[in-house]
Amino acid sequence: MYDSMGDSNFNLPPGFRFDPTDEELVLHFLHRKAARLPCHPDVIPDLDLFPHNPWELQGKALSEGSKWYYYSRRAPNRSTGSGYWKQLVTDEPIISSANNKKIGLRNEYVFCVGEPPHGACTTWIMHEYRLSAAATRSSSRAGRSKLDHKRWALYKVYEQTSDDTSDDDSSIELSCLDEVFLSMDDLDEVSFP
Amino acid sequence: MMNVSLNGESHVPPGFRFHPTEEELLHYYLKKKVASEKIDLDVIRNIDLNKLEPWDIQEKCKIGSSPQNDWYFFSHKDKKYPTGTRTNRATAAGFWKATGRDKVIYSNCKRIGMRKTLVFYKGRAPHGEKSDWIMHEYRLDDHSNASNSIGDHSTPEEGWVVCRVFKKKNYQKALENSTKNFSTSVDLKTHFLNSSNEVALQQILSYMSNTCKQQGFMHLPQLDSLTFDQDSAFDSCYESIGGSDENTTEPCAAKQGGEGCNSGSPGLNDWVTLDRLVASQLNGQAAEATKQLPCFADPDDHIMCLCLSPEDHDCHNDTRCPHPESASSSSLDPMCRLLA
Repeated sequence: MYDSMGDSNFNLPPGFRFDPTDEELVLHFLHRKAARLPCHPDVIPDLDLFPHNPWELQGKALSEGSKWYYYSRRAPNRSTGSGYWKQLVTDEPIISSANNKKIGLRNEYVFCVGEPPHGACTTWIMHEYRLSAAATRSSSRAGRSKLDHKRWALYKVYEQTSDDTSDDDSSIELSCLDEVFLSMDDLDEVSFP
Repeated sequence: MMNVSLNGESHVPPGFRFHPTEEELLHYYLKKKVASEKIDLDVIRNIDLNKLEPWDIQEKCKIGSSPQNDWYFFSHKDKKYPTGTRTNRATAAGFWKATGRDKVIYSNCKRIGMRKTLVFYKGRAPHGEKSDWIMHEYRLDDHSNASNSIGDHSTPEEGWVVCRVFKKKNYQKALENSTKNFSTSVDLKTHFLNSSNEVALQQILSYMSNTCKQQGFMHLPQLDSLTFDQDSAFDSCYESIGGSDENTTEPCAAKQGGEGCNSGSPGLNDWVTLDRLVASQLNGQAAEATKQLPCFADPDDHIMCLCLSPEDHDCHNDTRCPHPESASSSSLDPMCRLLA
């Protein structure tokens, strides 16, 4: 389950999981990667091969729970050996919570098996994070290669299950039975045998 | 060693969050606490529950600087009401009230502890106003090594517990927002699924409320339409609802087979059928499913099925050696599907 992380690198106590926000992915990981700044912890591998069949990521990308993370360079062609990544969402802005500035963009894809445009879509979803133009400019002013910034992307791949809450949020949700009990607490007249 | 400290001066590496499993909470953190062993990094604090309001817990139990949805702390259960054995969980502004039954927590098929669910009410009983603050209180099971823990209600009500506090999502609000905010095909799809599930849940809850008010919980309509030849098992399942919150699901746990309540007599296969029916209903295959079980063609009866199912869900959990993370997502659990 924690293949790529290796216990030796992370002496965090039990219970800590890699569960970054979009903002963290862009600010702490993608931005530093593109600016060639040291990334600590350096957990996300650079696969530099695009694109992947989603099931080939295991053992290569950083895996946490049922999500995979990796860097890659962007390529116009999103076909894989077995299918293609079909775009669902284009350039959704990622806003910094600190100053409300747009720091990055997110595209969303679904994996379809077969030949475009008639492939059979699966439940595999890919989020592609890029730095926004503004973020790229400010970095290039600092003397970095602009080209490099535009080419880097960070990917998160996961399989969308029918029961999406089963992943990591379920622990802070009430169980269904609890919800029922909770609503029954409201019934004053209830008397059980 | 990575340095983790509390209250904002954190050095939790970016992207990492404290999302312990129930097993980690009990087997690592609470076990060490009870044994007075040093816990490497002071991730979980001690809290005097009587002195802290839920909305203050988040500040006190912050881990790192990243936003959190849930907060963890140790609490020592030593305060009792003068008149009884119940733990006093009152604060200045309100009180924590237990709801439902305690859930047994397993690790590798062994019972390791119990989870109690509590809700925070503002004000004083019996006129408290229910809030969205929920607490899961985990305690170790002293009898986890006993060969047969069925019916053993002697779990201690004193000592250290580890708690998780979170704010319940407001499904009604989520529903309203979702109809306004979707903008993309993916969002549309997910929101649509969520919305219909929430509506279904609302229907069940309101139906259950009405049934309970009018007839008492035991008199669910059309129970007879099931060829259910283990009425006694059913009865005892439901007795546990009204019982003390120390209850385990005895009638179900008593069956040792790997299939739980679905094994054995043919009548019990109805549970499987019901589960399938509900599942297929939710997947939009109503027509096909109703063919399999004509007596359930009426929409009211679907709700009836769902009323029966939670206990079934517990049966599965109790007998199948649930993995801590998968216990709540059993594929045979229609109620969970509603919330998915």
